Amino acid sequence: MYHLKDLKHLIYFEQLLEEANNELVQQAQAEGKLAIGYTCYHIPEVLLNLGECFSVRLRAPRTGSIDMATYYMSNYTCEFARALVERGIEGGYNFLDGLAGVDACSMMNRFYEHFEILKMNEKPKFFVTHVDVPFKIEDYTVRQYVKQMRVRLLKYMEENYGVDTSDEAIRKAVEEHNEVCRIISEIGELRALENPPVTGYEFHVLNLVTYCCPKYLILPKLRETLEEIKARALDPKPWYRARVAIVGSEIDDPSLTKMIEEAGAFVVSDRYCYGSTPGREPIALRDDEDVLTQIVRHYMTTSECARYISDEKVQQRRDTADALAKKFHADGIIYEQMKFCDYWGFERALVSHIMNEEYGWPVLSIDRPYNARTSGQLRTRFQAFVESLEIKRIQKQGGKQ
Amino acid sequence: MAKAKYPNPAFWREKDHIDWKAQAKNLKEVGGIIKDMVKETDWRAVGARWKGNLLATRDRVADEAKAVAGMTHAERVDLLLHGEKHLGRLYRSGCMATVRREWRGVGDTAYDFYEWMRMWGMFLTTFGRDLLPALNSTLYYRWAISYFCAHSFMDKNTMGQRGSALRMSHLMIYDIFRYVAENLVFLSKCDARNGNATELNKKVVLFDEMTMGQIMAGFPDLLGIPYQLLPVFLVSEVDQLTCVPYIDAIESFGLPADTCPVPSSECGAIVIDALPHMGSCFISSSMPCDGSTMASSYMARRFPDLPVFHLTFPVRYEYEETVEDAAEDIKHCIRFIEEKTGAKWSWDAYFAAMKRFNRETSFELQKWEVNQTPYPQIIGPCYELFRKWNYEMDGGIDPRVMKTFEKVNKIMLRAYERREEAWRGKMKYRGIVWSCPAHYYANFSNWIANCWGVDILVEMESLNFTRPMETEDTETALHDLARLYERMVMRRHTNGGYHNVVNELWRQCEIWKVDLIIMYQNVACKNMATLQGILDEQARQKNYHMIWIEHDLMDPRTVSRRAMRGKVNEYMRTVMGAEPVDPSLVEFEDDTTW
Repeated sequence: MYHLKDLKHLIYFEQLLEEANNELVQQAQAEGKLAIGYTCYHIPEVLLNLGECFSVRLRAPRTGSIDMATYYMSNYTCEFARALVERGIEGGYNFLDGLAGVDACSMMNRFYEHFEILKMNEKPKFFVTHVDVPFKIEDYTVRQYVKQMRVRLLKYMEENYGVDTSDEAIRKAVEEHNEVCRIISEIGELRALENPPVTGYEFHVLNLVTYCCPKYLILPKLRETLEEIKARALDPKPWYRARVAIVGSEIDDPSLTKMIEEAGAFVVSDRYCYGSTPGREPIALRDDEDVLTQIVRHYMTTSECARYISDEKVQQRRDTADALAKKFHADGIIYEQMKFCDYWGFERALVSHIMNEEYGWPVLSIDRPYNARTSGQLRTRFQAFVESLEIKRIQKQGGKQ
Repeated sequence: MAKAKYPNPAFWREKDHIDWKAQAKNLKEVGGIIKDMVKETDWRAVGARWKGNLLATRDRVADEAKAVAGMTHAERVDLLLHGEKHLGRLYRSGCMATVRREWRGVGDTAYDFYEWMRMWGMFLTTFGRDLLPALNSTLYYRWAISYFCAHSFMDKNTMGQRGSALRMSHLMIYDIFRYVAENLVFLSKCDARNGNATELNKKVVLFDEMTMGQIMAGFPDLLGIPYQLLPVFLVSEVDQLTCVPYIDAIESFGLPADTCPVPSSECGAIVIDALPHMGSCFISSSMPCDGSTMASSYMARRFPDLPVFHLTFPVRYEYEETVEDAAEDIKHCIRFIEEKTGAKWSWDAYFAAMKRFNRETSFELQKWEVNQTPYPQIIGPCYELFRKWNYEMDGGIDPRVMKTFEKVNKIMLRAYERREEAWRGKMKYRGIVWSCPAHYYANFSNWIANCWGVDILVEMESLNFTRPMETEDTETALHDLARLYERMVMRRHTNGGYHNVVNELWRQCEIWKVDLIIMYQNVACKNMATLQGILDEQARQKNYHMIWIEHDLMDPRTVSRRAMRGKVNEYMRTVMGAEPVDPSLVEFEDDTTW
């Protein structure tokens, strides 16, 4: 394991991830701000940070039993969606002022719908939206997406809370968003170093915090942490036995990354939902086109969601995985999916073969429960993968260690 | 205007370019396999099995003779005129076919036999139009062999039916199998490994089996084929074990077993190369659900040179602001087909087909009207399959189907006037089927009527778009086409919000005045599974009898037909306190039966 000195705010950040309604969310609401929950990358995060609103990407930390949700959604559906329903029934999202839903994957859509059917939040102005998003990128689908954002998201924010959704307000939100992205990207880039000053676990925590907390409250500590990492004293030699990139469906639990790193693999890249790719690419705005259209196009082009059906997006997903693994000098790729996820179930099965056979990457292909921290089976598979990567490296070096 | 012939006679005339050397090589390979099979067969066991069959037949005949001998004169007359009443006798454990044909009474048996002959005649005539490639398909694809049991499929779907109900069922299933036979020949002609009709291939537009066929109505010079329909979807209804090797193949490849067996089977068919190599382009689709969306990347992987258009529709189809977007996608799809085939879209042809489709829909609505009365007439699997096929695949394109609608309508109205019973002497409960049905048990509604007297008046997959399609204005027509596609079978209910499947069920229960809800529970359908609790809870609040029946669409190994029946038996006995109409059908084994 590594011997890097603990980051000053790491425990604080970890604590923020222990609750959806964390300390900073509460502080922002006490200051009169409005919490808008969301889960999916298809909802542009930056649009939820307009005016007095701030975005909270929903998680269900410390999930234990999901029995109530299983009654409603059966036991062979996405555990993430079920964990959210369970937490919602328990009252864990009562703090929200709105929920920006998207009808992208059926099981997550049913989470939003259960929010409505079971009346999980009774704030008088609380709203749930169901945005319809396209499956491919064409001029007309970009227009369709923009229209949906106006009619099915911004309009709700305007009408329910009087939120300013003007171009100026959007540009202002983009500025703040971009600063978060720049900091996270700068930290993330350090993972490409042979002897990096940040671990995959730490990066995962930092990145998640930016999704789950009001930006203006988390930024000061992020800036400080960036400086701290840059100046961090390094271990005399790299601590890991192998470097891996992760590709796949939603991971909002840093303990999964910790488990992988405990097995000796440094997680150099996080190409999954709730990871930094996509999500932490700054948005470049021009003056010659409608701001909302530019934002929508940014999210469409950066999205790596398996739901995008068109050939170029299918290819993009493979190329992105390859490019990230190369850029961060990975030894192998872990393709993962949340158990019962249809999109990533199909994607993982096919692409884990392609990345190995055509791109030449050693690939570990796994499905996993939402709550993966206690899975001995996964730990064993990670350990075996690390060993196989080490053996490959030794073979490559002609048997010399 | 000259009456259009269907299918376009030019398609039949296109020449095959069979690679005879390749056929000889394949024949040699198949011959080797047969030789190995013969060598490896335990002929003693085969002999013992035949002996067992003969003894069982002897016992059955003796048993039946004894039963007849024990009947009163009136019962014998009834048997002679109206047929047998203990249909469980037709099944024998471990057998693929029933032990004999059903005795339906003198008149109905004669009619049934006539339809049996008519179907054979149609098969032979159709295959005879290009016999060699059609027969050759059986040497390449195991699914092609399964179509030899099409007659068994017809028999089991009409089991227990008499009089008008039997006649209507036969008329409808004939049309489906005519479509099957014609498309089987076209698949065989086009397949590069088989008929290799290169000119015909230029006219063939393949589309995903989950995509409706109406878009092809505007291309009368092209042949639209739902690509996986015959090798995967429909054949799994005919022979319950056909998709098992596909599912095993794709799961060995790495696909999780919890995914929907429809796209899983499609992908598995690709993995084991069970789909013909053919066509000028492919229309993939995001419908009806997440799994289907993902299957398209497997298709692209297998056939990288086949140009693909991804037809994708808004999921929240009730949002009026999305209709234009869907229509735009259809426009692009039409343009794509024009570019890839050189054909021109014809509004005249499209409108002509839609006029037929509208009339067919009005006939359909009449059926619903009759079935909503205390004297339902047209029920059972043939009708259920016909409705789906007509709505999804035919869509008014084939003018011959209109005659069937007219004949069926005439029989139905006459039967209604006479207050006939769809299942003579058996009707006890009014039922509705909700959610997606098991493919390997297409005749489930037939069994439940024969065994327990539950008449399935309608099923969810029939209740789709019934608004007349625009037949004059082109822009409005595209919008209507988009609305139609968005409300395809399954998607109409499982997409666009829970109210489409939950609230809609309670609404339909009122309309059809049902006593009983048969709630299919496809163990891999995430769209339905995620509403299980809500449906259960609300059914209790509304005091509906709801029987949950698990199944796994195309994989009878997960839940067998017998296990499905067990759920009904248990509920009917314990909750309803009912007695079976035909006790011989309560318990029997049909795990390998077609």
